[in-house]
Amino acid sequence: MSKSFPGVKALDNVSFRADGGRVLALMGENGAGKSTLLKILAGDYFADEGEFLLNGILQNFTSPYSAIMAGISVVYQERQMIPALSVMENIFAGALPKNKLGLIDKPRLKKETMALINKFELSIDPSVPVGSLSVAHQQMVEIMKAYRRGSAVIAFDEPTASLAEEEITVLFKLIEALKKEGKIVIYVSHRMPEIFELSDDIVVLKDGALVTTFITSETTVDELITSMVGRDIGDTYENLSRNTEVGETLLEIKNLVTHDVHNIDFSLKRGEIIGFAGLIGAGRTELVRAIFGANEITSGEIIFEGQKIDFKSPFDAIKAGFALCPEDRKEEGLVLYRSITDNVSIPVLSKIRKALILDRKAEAKLASTAVEKYAVKTPGIDKLVVELSGGNQQKVILGRWTNELMNTKLLILDEPTKGIDVGAKAEIYQTICDFAKQGIGVIFISSELTEVIGVADRIYVMRNGRITGCVDRSDATEEGILSLAMADKDETGGDAQ
Amino acid sequence: MSIKSLSRKLLLVSNNIAILLVAIVVILVFYSQNPNFLHDDNIRNIMRSMAFVGILTIGMGMLLIGGEVDLSSGAVAGLSGVLVAMLINTGIPWGWAIVITIAFGASLGLISALLVNVLGFMHFIATLGLMSVYQGVILVITRNVFIPVPNEGFRLIGGTSFGNIVPLPFIIMLVLMIAYTLVLSNTGFGRSVYMCGGNRKSARLVGIKPKKISYFLYINNGALGALAGVIITSQMATASPVAGQTGSIDAITAAVLGGVAFKGGSGGMFGCFIGILLINSFSAGLTFVGFPQYWQIVARGSLLVLALCLDYVISGARSRALEHALRSHN
Repeated sequence: MSKSFPGVKALDNVSFRADGGRVLALMGENGAGKSTLLKILAGDYFADEGEFLLNGILQNFTSPYSAIMAGISVVYQERQMIPALSVMENIFAGALPKNKLGLIDKPRLKKETMALINKFELSIDPSVPVGSLSVAHQQMVEIMKAYRRGSAVIAFDEPTASLAEEEITVLFKLIEALKKEGKIVIYVSHRMPEIFELSDDIVVLKDGALVTTFITSETTVDELITSMVGRDIGDTYENLSRNTEVGETLLEIKNLVTHDVHNIDFSLKRGEIIGFAGLIGAGRTELVRAIFGANEITSGEIIFEGQKIDFKSPFDAIKAGFALCPEDRKEEGLVLYRSITDNVSIPVLSKIRKALILDRKAEAKLASTAVEKYAVKTPGIDKLVVELSGGNQQKVILGRWTNELMNTKLLILDEPTKGIDVGAKAEIYQTICDFAKQGIGVIFISSELTEVIGVADRIYVMRNGRITGCVDRSDATEEGILSLAMADKDETGGDAQ
Repeated sequence: MSIKSLSRKLLLVSNNIAILLVAIVVILVFYSQNPNFLHDDNIRNIMRSMAFVGILTIGMGMLLIGGEVDLSSGAVAGLSGVLVAMLINTGIPWGWAIVITIAFGASLGLISALLVNVLGFMHFIATLGLMSVYQGVILVITRNVFIPVPNEGFRLIGGTSFGNIVPLPFIIMLVLMIAYTLVLSNTGFGRSVYMCGGNRKSARLVGIKPKKISYFLYINNGALGALAGVIITSQMATASPVAGQTGSIDAITAAVLGGVAFKGGSGGMFGCFIGILLINSFSAGLTFVGFPQYWQIVARGSLLVLALCLDYVISGARSRALEHALRSHN
């Protein structure tokens, strides 16, 4: 199968087979072509070349509807249900049982939904609106919907991204049940332990091409990673030029409590990089937002340069020398449909004006310096930010916070390498170390364990809104951090490793 | 550079070309029907009518660029037009009456701002309610009767024309538009308005205070609405209870036709000007060629829908061009 977009070959002659009763994991770095493949499967995109056969019959989808009719269901990260309608109405959408009067047969609807819920051993009330359920339960409902349609192929796009540990266990049980029924399960995930726990076969894509296929029981994590990235990642971290002179204490957090985090204590020195590891939803983003004045603080103290501070808004934080690169670049970091210049100069507009009028020349200089400093790939500083790639967008944000007019003393990076390709990642790691050398204190949040361990001097681990441990880089192991991040699961006898 | 890539470039740069073309075509069509369409008297009439909607559109355009909207501004204009007439008729000097009226308009803008920012109501719904309240108040006060303003000094504002063609209110509108253009493109505040409209969350995290900007935009809009009300009362030497009825809708239409993004973050005063020019020359033209009055409403609506279709086609082409630029770049 091949699929091209103007200028990009998203899928290049990819062939593989998936068998009923087995779970096939689709793996690869961001941009490898997994999403494109899923979208072709779902009838969203049409392949340029190649064939898709189901039970030996050539399929030719003309719309998502025809894919569903052929027996393909894709469970996306964003739920595709109607939040105000009940669980049973969503499951049976398009095939609601009717009574003699042509009205919806509610008792039968409820009975059939209950049968499904019992079959998968779930505890969901069939008559509550889907919107009132947790993310995990919504996902279960979507799976039941796919099952109800009699789908032969059920594909999952990073289904565990926003689930808690116990919920993942339930999801896996459900997938096992689908497997037993002989369904073809296609599973996209970045989480190694899951892949090895769940899958039978692994297909690895890279830059749109098929790299290799594995039988899960016959391969190892190392072999798999090597095939995905095609390079040894260990060197990246060893070659970093780090800061060796850590200064006095810059930031101290004492017993901080907000709506999302509890009893947080930690400290950061000038020139130090501290990492925050943890599962998604552990409260790391909420913690740094509170420190930045963007979320409300219930109690506790923030001491910066020896003085207690109380920010009313990010405006105050920025004035004090704080800078935040948010996790969601597009929604919270940038104004996409404005130029690079506008996005770089925005926090320092008050410093580049003569009388009341903006000094355009000074502004342009600021933007071009940022573009040069971080080697942003763009034809010019007037380019809209939306037209840049993810890595270059991140560089624009870094350029904004570290230009000569900013007085950044504390830099908070929330998942700065998310959605960025491997080459650009290494550049960003070095940039982070360079900040530390300048005496900036860096808070580095990342869900990639190798990355936090490789870059940060100390690593704090969070779980359920609390800090559960702090490890020095020299002592840090992925296993150790993972067990701190998932300690609950250990206690309940789960399999954290 | 090939023609294709040149036309792509053009699409990415120009927001107002389509609507400017439509405006020119509309004017030429009426001119060909009756050459008197471009006679001094008629041009003056068109400019006269542009001032009222134009000043409303400035306030509305600023709001829309900043990601807000205030449906009550037409009613604020109507109520202010009534207030200024009543103040002058009680013997207050007309200069003071105008100052008081504009302050009154600004405070009505503040009410919108409070509903949106303090109580967190959706701007569309909250200001729809206010619109209805103000229109009701107008009817209660006037009992749906015109209020004449027999004051020579006050009438001069709307009645003066330069070179016997360009009315003073039109000049006021132009000066304001130029001033607001400068604010939008050359000050930190203007930039903040665009950033807020483009992405409020991001704007807040880079140190902009979106609420502060929102307050300013609503109060500004209220004050401009009051000014528009003062002007229309002065032009007619009478306060009309129906003067502002379609004001907000006309202002939104003009701004959106002129390339102000309804969801905020882009657009400018030049586009607003073209939008107003189009709406007013079209209405004037229909009257001029003797188009039946009720059919005029149908025709005006049809023009709007047509212009929006054109905008839809163009913005589709624009986003395709953008996508192309994006892909060839990566």
